[in-house]
Amino acid sequence: MLNPMTSIELVPSEPEPAGISVDNVGRSFGSVHAVRDASFVATPGSVTGLIGPNGSGKTTLMLMLASLLQPDAGSILVDGHDPVTQTAAVRARLGWMPDVLGSWSSLSVRDALIFTARMYSMDRAAAAIRAAELIALVDLTELADSPTRVLSRGQKQRLSLARALVHDPTVLLLDEPASGLDPMARAQLRILVRRLASEGKTFLISSHVLSELDEMADGAVYISQGVTASAEALARSRASARPWRIRSSDVVALRAALVAAGIDEAAIVTDRTELIVALEGEPAASALLARLVNAGVAISTFAPAVGDLEHAFIDLSSEESK
Amino acid sequence: MSAFFSGVGVIFALELRQRVRSISWYILLAVFVGLILIVTVLLSFAYYGFGAADDGGGGIYSTIIYFVLLLGTLVAPALSGNAINGDRDAGTLATTQVTLITTGQLIFGKFLAAWVTALAFLAAAVPFLIYATVVGRLGIGTILVSTLVLALELGMVAAVGVGLSGLMSRPLFSIVASYLIVAGLSVGTLIAFGLGGLAVQTPVTNTYSYGQEYGPDGAAITCSAPVTSEYSAPRFDLFWGALVANPYVILADAVPTAYDQYDQPTDLFGFIKLSVRMAQQAPETATVFDECAPGNVSTYDDGPTARETIESTTPGWAVGLGIQLLLAGGLLVGAHSRTKTPVAKLSRGSRIA
Repeated sequence: MLNPMTSIELVPSEPEPAGISVDNVGRSFGSVHAVRDASFVATPGSVTGLIGPNGSGKTTLMLMLASLLQPDAGSILVDGHDPVTQTAAVRARLGWMPDVLGSWSSLSVRDALIFTARMYSMDRAAAAIRAAELIALVDLTELADSPTRVLSRGQKQRLSLARALVHDPTVLLLDEPASGLDPMARAQLRILVRRLASEGKTFLISSHVLSELDEMADGAVYISQGVTASAEALARSRASARPWRIRSSDVVALRAALVAAGIDEAAIVTDRTELIVALEGEPAASALLARLVNAGVAISTFAPAVGDLEHAFIDLSSEESK
Repeated sequence: MSAFFSGVGVIFALELRQRVRSISWYILLAVFVGLILIVTVLLSFAYYGFGAADDGGGGIYSTIIYFVLLLGTLVAPALSGNAINGDRDAGTLATTQVTLITTGQLIFGKFLAAWVTALAFLAAAVPFLIYATVVGRLGIGTILVSTLVLALELGMVAAVGVGLSGLMSRPLFSIVASYLIVAGLSVGTLIAFGLGGLAVQTPVTNTYSYGQEYGPDGAAITCSAPVTSEYSAPRFDLFWGALVANPYVILADAVPTAYDQYDQPTDLFGFIKLSVRMAQQAPETATVFDECAPGNVSTYDDGPTARETIESTTPGWAVGLGIQLLLAGGLLVGAHSRTKTPVAKLSRGSRIA
């Protein structure tokens, strides 16, 4: 006789797809289609930028990810959970830093963080400890016991970041996190984001400051008129002509060498002591640099005139308007 | 369940911390106490001026309790009418909603905080209520019941305010709408009762025959042929539901009545209660009076006493509180469905964060 006790098998549980997964998501408000078709994946340990012109649907997408707005179409998974049907599970894993800087104005920074922690079911003692850690983390120690209404914009921004981190979430949505921050605080933000990402957290950051996202983000999602750019469009954008900035102590020799290299003289833009030329793709740039060096031109700067993200942003935006 | 209430407790504590720290709240409280003090002092002088030494005080001192109700229902909407949409304007609603706090916890916590804040005003008025009771000889039942009813009415107004602040997107409009509901209950119910009762009339047939010859004992021997007259009577009994939704009526109706030796009420609340209870009774549609009928000698039926009327009719305060509970509860449920996230349907012009 078979003993049923010996035949118990452990059913391997489905591995939870971590990070953010957005699949053909759409949302309209009446006749306005704020988001029409958005699809992208953000993986744990990576920082993904969300880029698009004003009114392109970035904030609507963020609100749907933050479990505040239901999509009309498509599906969203945050660490494997659907924000509409498994709202509490998503909220336990998700930190959201909104672009609106709201704070309980009569509470101190410390109390605001303690109350937020308690909203995540932490007890008083744990909440107080967590608040103290976060105050140190975002460098608000001197203002810890001042009411939040006296904070400057940048300080409120840092409080908002601390609030998003209260429950040690695995997925973070940051909406314009760097606006209002001074260069020092921006550098700190970048270091903090990179450190948390290296610990395995998933970041989605929307920003208008593309140069800054360039330094922080591993990849980017472009959204325009409610539609995320396809992989093909991105590849096309990478291959398309973009301006390069070349500096030399001898501009005349540089210009002559460029013309000799087959570049139309009328297409060369002069910007103070630098010349800007349009080149298609990295191989073309490498080839040109090699030629210029071989020709004996003293090159001190040879770099893209705009960042990767900005180039893609402008390229895709102009493609959209065609 | 305890998890639900610990979340409610967090919202409640947060709301109280924000309110009690504002200076305007203390100024409002001081103005409130000052007004009651002035009214109490003036009424006391008026009382001595009347020289009513023994029982005239009841009517006057009942008005102090009414004044507390008036001021309380005027203050409460201001304390609750922007609870939810004010947070949305300040940018703190969405950041609360992305936490593990549920919409039910949020609304219930805000309602409790608004109620407790309003109860602070009642607590400040309690010494005046005790003074009114003692000097007006109103009895211990009066102070206990009237304080309880005042507390419930403040809760009702707090719930209306929080409910409307969830249903309407602009704080100004929801506060004004809360005041309109308070006005509707305090004044509108009286108008609805009066106009409704007068608009619906019932024809009444009155048949009577009067005595023409009287015997030695004074009883009529021969009577006239029956004479019929018709008139119409207002049907206030159909509209007493509107009357008892009135906070002032509920307060008067709920307070236990003291009677004098003729079974008449001794204070203002008692008289109001009597008239509210009499409004429940439908007018008789046919009255017959025959002076020659046997037994109808010279006895004249006084009808039921005030005590009998009050004791035999439906307690209006229970019906009134039921109506208010439905109103306040309905608004809170409505606020819940409008505030719930993730939002499926967003009404025009409103926003989330």
